[in-house]
Amino acid sequence: MPLPRSFKRALWVFHIATGSCNGCDIEIVAALTPRYDVERFGIMLTGTPRHADVLLITGPVTRPMLPRLKRIYDQTPDPKAVVVVGSCGCTGGVFYESYNTVGPVDEVIPVDIYVPGCPSRPEAIIDGVVKAVTKLETLEKAGVSG
Amino acid sequence: MNGISSGFGAWNPIAWALLFIGVVAIGFVLRSLGNKGYKRGTGQTKVFLSGNEEPEDSGALHVRGRHLYWGMVEGLAGYYRRVKALHTGILSDYAAWFVGVLAVVFVILALVR
Repeated sequence: MPLPRSFKRALWVFHIATGSCNGCDIEIVAALTPRYDVERFGIMLTGTPRHADVLLITGPVTRPMLPRLKRIYDQTPDPKAVVVVGSCGCTGGVFYESYNTVGPVDEVIPVDIYVPGCPSRPEAIIDGVVKAVTKLETLEKAGVSG
Repeated sequence: MNGISSGFGAWNPIAWALLFIGVVAIGFVLRSLGNKGYKRGTGQTKVFLSGNEEPEDSGALHVRGRHLYWGMVEGLAGYYRRVKALHTGILSDYAAWFVGVLAVVFVILALVR
C-alpha cells in the first residue's frame, strides 16, 4: 500500500516535558517502539528544535520551564506545528490553577493540536502528529517560509 | 601536471587546489540543501542549549580537548602536581635539569664500565 501524500517527507519531532509526570512521555516512547514504530513513516525524534517540524509538549507549564518553552518555540524554524499531549498540557489537568504552574501550554505559546488523555494512548499521539502534518502542509501552501 | 614525485609520495599543488575546490563545492551543495527559511536575528539562529539562555561566557560550556583525559589527570593528580611544579617555563631551569641529568648519566656510565 503506498504511503499517503501527507507522508511525503520525514517529520522531525522535538519533545519537551514542561512539567509532566512522565506518563505521557512513556507513551511517546511507546509510539517509537516496535509495536507502533512511527519511524517507519519517517516520524522521528530529534535532539534539537532547530531541526524540528513539530513540537511535542507534555505536562502543564511549570514556572521554571516558562522561559525555556518560549525560547524553544522561538528557536523552531517555520513552518512549525505544536502538539500538546496529555490532559495536563491541554487544560492543566490535576494541576489546574496550581500555584506552581502558569497554566496549560496554550497560555504560553500557540497550540495547533490537542491530544487529551491521562496518559494519551500511543494511537492518539500518532493521530495528533499526523494532524500536525496536515497543518504543516497548509502552512506551506499558504507560503509560510520553511 | 608538474609535481614532485619521490619514493615517499607525490606532491602536486594543482591537484591539491582542485581537491580543495571540489570539497568546497560539495560543502556549498550540502549547504544549499538545508532549510532556507531561518529568520536572521531571531531565536531561530541562536544556539540551542536545552532551552537555557546562552551565557555571556559561552566558551565555558564547550567541551575542550583536556576534558577527554580529565579522569587520567584527576587519578594522577599527585604526580601531575609535582611535574607541573618542575615546569617553570624558565630556560635556565631546563638547562640546569639537562646538565644535571647528563651528569648523572655520565656517572652511571663510568660506574658501569
